[in-house]
Amino acid sequence: MFTLIKNSKGILGMNARNFSYIRPNNFQGAIRLANNKLRSKEVLLKAEVPIPKVYGIIKNRLELEIFKWGDLPKTFVLKPNRGKGGEGIKVIFGQKKDLSWVSTQGKTITIKNLKDHIRDIFEGFYSFSGTSDIAFFEERIQLLKVLKPYSYEGIPDVRVIIYNKVPVMAMLRLPTRESGGKSNLHLGGVGLGVDIANGVTTNAIMRDQLIEKHPDTKLILSGIKIPNWKEILEIAIKCQEASGLGYIGVDVAIDSGRGPVVLEINAHAGLSIQIANLAPLKYRLQKISGLKVKNEARGIRIAQDLFGGEIEEEIEEISGKQVLGIIEAIKIKHKVKENEETNKDRKDKLNIEKQEDKPEEMELRAKIDTGADLSSIDKSLAKNLGYAEIIDEFDEAIKNIKIDTALTKEILDEQIKDKLEKWGDGIDTVIIKSSHGATFRLVIKMNITLSGVEIISKMSVTDRSNLEFPIIIGRKSLGKFLVDPSKKSKAIFGKEVNVTNNKNNLEK
Amino acid sequence: MSEIINLILSQGVDVDTVYLILTLPFIATLIAAFRQLIGIKSFGIYTPLVLTFAFWAVGLKYGLTIFIIIFLTGTVVRYVLKNFRLLYMPRMALVLTVISLAILVLLTVGGYLQKTGLASVSILPILILITLIEKFISTQVEKGFRTAAFLSVETLAISIAGYYFIIWDVFRGLVLNHPEYILLLFAVNVFLGKWTGVRLSEYLRFREVIKNIDR
Repeated sequence: MFTLIKNSKGILGMNARNFSYIRPNNFQGAIRLANNKLRSKEVLLKAEVPIPKVYGIIKNRLELEIFKWGDLPKTFVLKPNRGKGGEGIKVIFGQKKDLSWVSTQGKTITIKNLKDHIRDIFEGFYSFSGTSDIAFFEERIQLLKVLKPYSYEGIPDVRVIIYNKVPVMAMLRLPTRESGGKSNLHLGGVGLGVDIANGVTTNAIMRDQLIEKHPDTKLILSGIKIPNWKEILEIAIKCQEASGLGYIGVDVAIDSGRGPVVLEINAHAGLSIQIANLAPLKYRLQKISGLKVKNEARGIRIAQDLFGGEIEEEIEEISGKQVLGIIEAIKIKHKVKENEETNKDRKDKLNIEKQEDKPEEMELRAKIDTGADLSSIDKSLAKNLGYAEIIDEFDEAIKNIKIDTALTKEILDEQIKDKLEKWGDGIDTVIIKSSHGATFRLVIKMNITLSGVEIISKMSVTDRSNLEFPIIIGRKSLGKFLVDPSKKSKAIFGKEVNVTNNKNNLEK
Repeated sequence: MSEIINLILSQGVDVDTVYLILTLPFIATLIAAFRQLIGIKSFGIYTPLVLTFAFWAVGLKYGLTIFIIIFLTGTVVRYVLKNFRLLYMPRMALVLTVISLAILVLLTVGGYLQKTGLASVSILPILILITLIEKFISTQVEKGFRTAAFLSVETLAISIAGYYFIIWDVFRGLVLNHPEYILLLFAVNVFLGKWTGVRLSEYLRFREVIKNIDR
């Protein structure tokens, strides 16, 4: 209970948002600007922020009568200026030859239909309490192909919270059937938390509850990479500077042709974004308040450094070392069959190239074990990799030798000296001492590829048939890597494997 | 009873009038506290306040009955009228018309079923209850039925709490014997107005986030 209260201090609640952030940072004039779509468009355009083009504004009945319908493009959106909750928006999909259009639902729309709709807007059908409104025509955003499978009818957008020129938190909002193709969360849209560093989605919520799959398309929602990520953040910061709002929520959609465009700016950005990101907003705001942020690039950099989730790429850049998780996919090479090769060499050179050009490789999962000095490999696996003969000979040779802790490697090596000479450079031995006593094992130098890096690893051969991983990689093989136990091992045989899922197996 | 109260009463002011006027700031503060500390939203401060006093005037049983009839009728009529595409004011006038008729039927049926209490309730609280429907309907239009229904239930809960406060003897004694306690409300409201802590309802809403904070 005490930790609950302590932890909740990082949460941005309604009280704190209104009193500590909106009141001191968002002045009345700026809030009025944000609530007026056409006026905020003017301001954003001046600041060179990309916005959907406005094709025309109709303010009254006179303007409606003299409006040149032929000037409208083939596809556009008709909107009321102060419409609430997305009501009264008409989306025109294409144009017919006779100056009529087709709606997204496939209905024919004539000039008369549009005029009727605009008169309704004048009458205030779509604005709250029926106050009269004006209508305008706007460019239609073209849905991006990568986001198409995640959207039900409408256009997804990215909500970015900017404070003090720093993008504090972001969320991808997807339209659903329940939300009627609109991306507003309170209507039932889906919100995806986004890693501010790289624009990859993390958790998902619908109506403030965590979900995993899109309610309509049933697709997994984590791990979506949002294109043009840095550009989106840059544009959002520009909006903050231009609007005069200190604490702002910017809605950015991505047009398949133009890239990111700003749909709307909000003075009272909602708080559910914290659930979608499973991250507290107040801590983040506190961290950046008072900072002097020179420009957009600096603001983005600060956000990435402070709030970005995956910093491993950067560590790799700095240290030049790959970061490994506890379980990694490795490739291991088959023993080169020297004799066969030379035999074939004599027979047919072309044939050899075809067969031996790529040495046989196996792909498996290995456990990265910094507690072990030496790597080790399962005996039957090693046999399969072409070491059967050597292993059998070794077992045969040490069958009659009694191993105890007093013996050293040198003494034992002496006893199988002739064999070692026969096997050559790649083969060695080792004594492994443990609480159960000592074992004398064969050590094989093997070529393995770990996280894209090819290394030569010495592997002790032992029976691991009752264990989950046939191979463990020990310290001596890990000089070129850093190990992060919390890292999820990605792309193992095309699947993402969560380390915790393997916990039971590891304990075996 | 406090001397000030006695002075007021000696001028011929009714004791219930004095009590209700002094209670109003307490109920208003209660509503503010519900919002800021617990997170119960309600329709502003006016609606739950008026509803509280309406309940006091007609009694909770009949008050609730009338409220529910009004709310249901209003919602149904709004849905029916949606298809007719009428402007806001005439539409609301129609809603009120149907509700008025419904209340008339309710009172008649009440009398027929020997519920004499229902037939004899004073008209002013009923009129107030009827006009409150505008707030409920306009919220339905603006924020959708779901949100409006939630807000209605929350408003109702606050009003019922307020009602029990007013009829509580201990509270009545406190207000009439020590009207100076009203000064405390200044401090309470200044505190509430500057309180930036997490609301009780937000602990629930953000529980997954709180679980994930690791520092």
